[in-house]
Amino acid sequence: MATAADFCRLKFMPLSVNSPFHHQQQHHGFGFNYSNKYKFSYSGRRSFRVNCQTTSGVDSSSKVSHSDLQLAAVVGKDRLSKVPTSNIRNFSIIAHIDHGKSTLADKLLQMTGSVESREMKDQFLDNMDLERERGITIKLQAARMRFMYENEPYCLNLIDTPGHVDFSYEVSRSLAACEGALLVVDASQGVEAQTLANVYLALENNLEVIPVIGLDCSNAIYCSAKEGIGITEILNAIVQRIPPPHDTNGRPLRALIFDSYYDAYRGVIVYFRVVDGTIKKGDRIIFMASGKDYFADDIGVLSPSQMQVEELRAGEVGYLSASIKSVADARVGDTITHYTRRAEQSLPGYKEATPMVFCGLFPIDADQFPELRDALEKLQLNDAALKFEPETSSAMGFGFRCGFLGLLHMEIVQERLEREYNLTLIITAPSVVYRVNTIYGDTVECSNPSLLPEPGKRSSIEEPYVKIELLTPKDYIGPLMELAQDRRGEFKEMKYLTESRASIIYELPLAEMVGDFFDQLKSRSKGYASMEYSFIGYRESELIKLDILINGDCVEPLATIVHKDKAYAVGRALTQKLKELIPRQMFKVPIQACVGSKVIASESLSAIRKDVLAKCYGGDITRKKKLLRKQAEGKRRMKAIGKVDVPQEAFMAVLKLEKEVL
Amino acid sequence: MLKLSFTPLSTTFPSKIIPPRLLKSITTNTLSQAPQTVRQNDTTTSTNTPQHKLPPKSAYIHLPFCRKRCHYCDFPIIALGSSSAPEEDPRILNYIQTLCREIKATSLNSNPNPSLETVFFGGGTPSLVPPKLVSLVLETLSSKFGVSLEAEMSMEMDPGTFDRGKLKELMELRVNRVSLGVQAFQDGLLKACGRAHGVKEIYEAIDIVKACGVENWSLDLISSLPHQTPEMWEESLKLTIQAHPTHVSVYDLQVEKDTKFGVLYTPGEFPLPSEDLSAEFYRMASRMLTDAGYNHYEISSYCRSGYMCKHNYTYWKNEPFYGFGLGSASYVNGIRFSRPRKLKEFMHYVELLEDGGVNCEDDSTDAKDLAMDVIMLSLRTARGLDLKSFAKAFGCELVLSLCKVYQPYVESGHIVFLDDKLKTITVDEYSSLLSDDRKMSEVPAFLRLSDPDGFLLSNELISHAFGVVGS
Repeated sequence: MATAADFCRLKFMPLSVNSPFHHQQQHHGFGFNYSNKYKFSYSGRRSFRVNCQTTSGVDSSSKVSHSDLQLAAVVGKDRLSKVPTSNIRNFSIIAHIDHGKSTLADKLLQMTGSVESREMKDQFLDNMDLERERGITIKLQAARMRFMYENEPYCLNLIDTPGHVDFSYEVSRSLAACEGALLVVDASQGVEAQTLANVYLALENNLEVIPVIGLDCSNAIYCSAKEGIGITEILNAIVQRIPPPHDTNGRPLRALIFDSYYDAYRGVIVYFRVVDGTIKKGDRIIFMASGKDYFADDIGVLSPSQMQVEELRAGEVGYLSASIKSVADARVGDTITHYTRRAEQSLPGYKEATPMVFCGLFPIDADQFPELRDALEKLQLNDAALKFEPETSSAMGFGFRCGFLGLLHMEIVQERLEREYNLTLIITAPSVVYRVNTIYGDTVECSNPSLLPEPGKRSSIEEPYVKIELLTPKDYIGPLMELAQDRRGEFKEMKYLTESRASIIYELPLAEMVGDFFDQLKSRSKGYASMEYSFIGYRESELIKLDILINGDCVEPLATIVHKDKAYAVGRALTQKLKELIPRQMFKVPIQACVGSKVIASESLSAIRKDVLAKCYGGDITRKKKLLRKQAEGKRRMKAIGKVDVPQEAFMAVLKLEKEVL
Repeated sequence: MLKLSFTPLSTTFPSKIIPPRLLKSITTNTLSQAPQTVRQNDTTTSTNTPQHKLPPKSAYIHLPFCRKRCHYCDFPIIALGSSSAPEEDPRILNYIQTLCREIKATSLNSNPNPSLETVFFGGGTPSLVPPKLVSLVLETLSSKFGVSLEAEMSMEMDPGTFDRGKLKELMELRVNRVSLGVQAFQDGLLKACGRAHGVKEIYEAIDIVKACGVENWSLDLISSLPHQTPEMWEESLKLTIQAHPTHVSVYDLQVEKDTKFGVLYTPGEFPLPSEDLSAEFYRMASRMLTDAGYNHYEISSYCRSGYMCKHNYTYWKNEPFYGFGLGSASYVNGIRFSRPRKLKEFMHYVELLEDGGVNCEDDSTDAKDLAMDVIMLSLRTARGLDLKSFAKAFGCELVLSLCKVYQPYVESGHIVFLDDKLKTITVDEYSSLLSDDRKMSEVPAFLRLSDPDGFLLSNELISHAFGVVGS
């Protein structure tokens, strides 16, 4: 999906590239280049020191010097020592494009000596291979830094946030754990919808927002993380402008979980921010939402690797492990308190993750079903938002219907299953949860087209709607409105943010976004537009179930629920695509799209007429045998639908096709 | 040659011609039952040696010389051009000498060694080789293995490459079967596929064969040639029947990658006949030749009663055979080995063989591989796969799975099961067997592809069986 890749584009633009000084520096490799391990070959400018007093340092040419780093390394060694609550600063970074954000985070870690240069690898906070490969943050991370400001030690806690809309709940929790945020904006690309949404989120949480880079507002800091410019100014501003946490050490413990993950050896590791009170190693704790209680075996800080401490106080950020078996016991947003001295009220904001997108996952090889179940269970230990339940299909055999926060989440789970667990899967078309009102007066939730109650038994179908905000340069308003209109969007509002940039608001069915909406948005706006959506509730729609019949057999995984106005177009496209993808069989195969018993589109695959085994000249059978083995192997990779062998690609490509038609 | 004798094999022998024995990785018997003897119905061996590991009684001799390469041909051949007379061409003499050295250097693993029952001279155009030199080869074979008095001795011959005298000489050498490469009865088609003869030469050749009194001869045709029409094909079949051969081979044109046709044409596209038409050609041949009294005993072979090609049948029964000469394949001791297709490498190979550097000793063959060979080869024939001996060799479970996987194709008429009296099992009878595993493993004795529907889709159908064996 292009979604992920689109987040990788940011380069921190040094706004002072024209300054000859800068050029020189670059030329001599003075900047932060991890792979070069700091070749400070150019020393002529070492005397140029950042003025630590600078507050809103617009001094874009300020650079990090060698001695700064040495000092930072010394200071960084003490980062476990306590500072008064008034010297704690908790902040996160809001940026649409993670790549640049992670670079900035790395740089902050380095500048404060939290990571020794020899341990440094690009994007330290993105732990998973998948994250590093895609340049995105999936699971958020945290890091504690120590910074000397006016000869006083400060403890800075950076809480890294995922940037994708699928994970906005985690963003909101991490913002809730902070008093301030750095707003990073790419000077070359402008504000993106997701960034803006997160800024609103930050403001709602009463966070102090420090803009970084070329925003047209006052007090912004110009920086190039890549070049190491402006980093000290940012650190200074964090100390000066972000308020310290309240000193509430005396109150009963309340700590907000902003992340958790499953470790195979230690159980769930919980990341939290102490809001009130203190927590010590060995304390008996209880998670207020889940009601589960444990003994905290181990508490510590993240700097960025886990380092044990004896105690964490109000305002501090850390981790704990307590042999917790599943992340569901200690979910993001839950409040930790003491078992004996419980807080009266949990911290606000906990919500159960609700999957928005569903699809069926079936192993190609039926024998892999138990492996798939094990793999999903393992992933769920780490990812409480992942939901799954067994599903049986006459065509696909045994598999699971899985629920995801969004499409990226879905794709990541699939990829991890295939990559880390070595499974080969068939993925059915993603679907949303429909609400079916039956003639008996009850409402049935349905996320699987093949389980939709029969037409005679339903009085209406409701589908989830989202409010979507598109931010775009004004040139693309037309094409984007057309896109939204095509997707059954209902126009709500349009306003110009600046002379050249507009915000358009639509309400449209979530099902229309499950597919390539984002890809289309990007391609129709040449990559300049961005979007943000939120769920607004269910609405009744004229929806019907579109069945696909191959050789007269209904193929459940190919069934879809579509709006009645689109049934013909989708049916035609589906049957045509399937005709291309299914190899010819020994007999003629009709491929039909049906609504109820009515065939609305039909194609047919002609029979293979001739496939004669050639002469094995002089008894040499090796080549022919190889050919037949290949042919047999090809069949093995297909799913038999009745008498017809359907290749896996047919199921996959149907997903892609929907993008073209829907 | 001397420099080779003490050099380690692996460093001097080009890797692509290392025999399979040397390349083979450890193989295991992966089927549930250890393979026992594969007993074909007419083989009555009392020993425990599997049939495919018995000493061969057949030999294929490759004589690669041609006037020029035909446009569809990707065999290992040597084009002589039209200048020199074959009698004086040193290339032929040199090759025959090397061939004889190869035969002599072949190791014999059994004592006593059975005489050869079939010898097949294939090519190339074997009829280009002077009978004197053919005699040399046969003498070598005789002294090495012995050649049975009743042996079937075939030679591929092309119209325009032999006269009455030459054929007489060959017959005196006990060549008793001629495989005449006619291909088509239309000059235009012959020219278009690069044949070195015309229709006139075909008739002359048929006359010579008859005049010399060759009783057993085959007329070989190719169907689906470029620009071939149903009328032309019908004409070719009619003229074939009129010529009264005892055997007819009909090969469906294979467009091979590295041939002129491969470069020019795509199967199913003009000027090649469409897939439908090409299938119709196959049906026409089956219908017309069967009506004329020929048995369609193998996918591409027809014969008058009693005139099957015994040599080719050894292949289809998965019996062992020697192979001598450029690019030829052999199947000895359960090992399939193809000789180098390039002359220089082949010469090198023979030198190494003489130095004892090629070792083709007994090796354990993967049971699955063996099962696939047996299926693929036997399903070429009208007799089909002998389920009883297959079950003995590879287990009843595998046979049961085979019987079941073909259900849709029994219903569609592509696959036929026969009982032990060679009576066809009807679709209804078959359906009732499906619910009874015991009966299913007892009643069907043979499994075959139907003629022509099953034969026409043989690849597709055999690959289903491969799927069963491979899983």
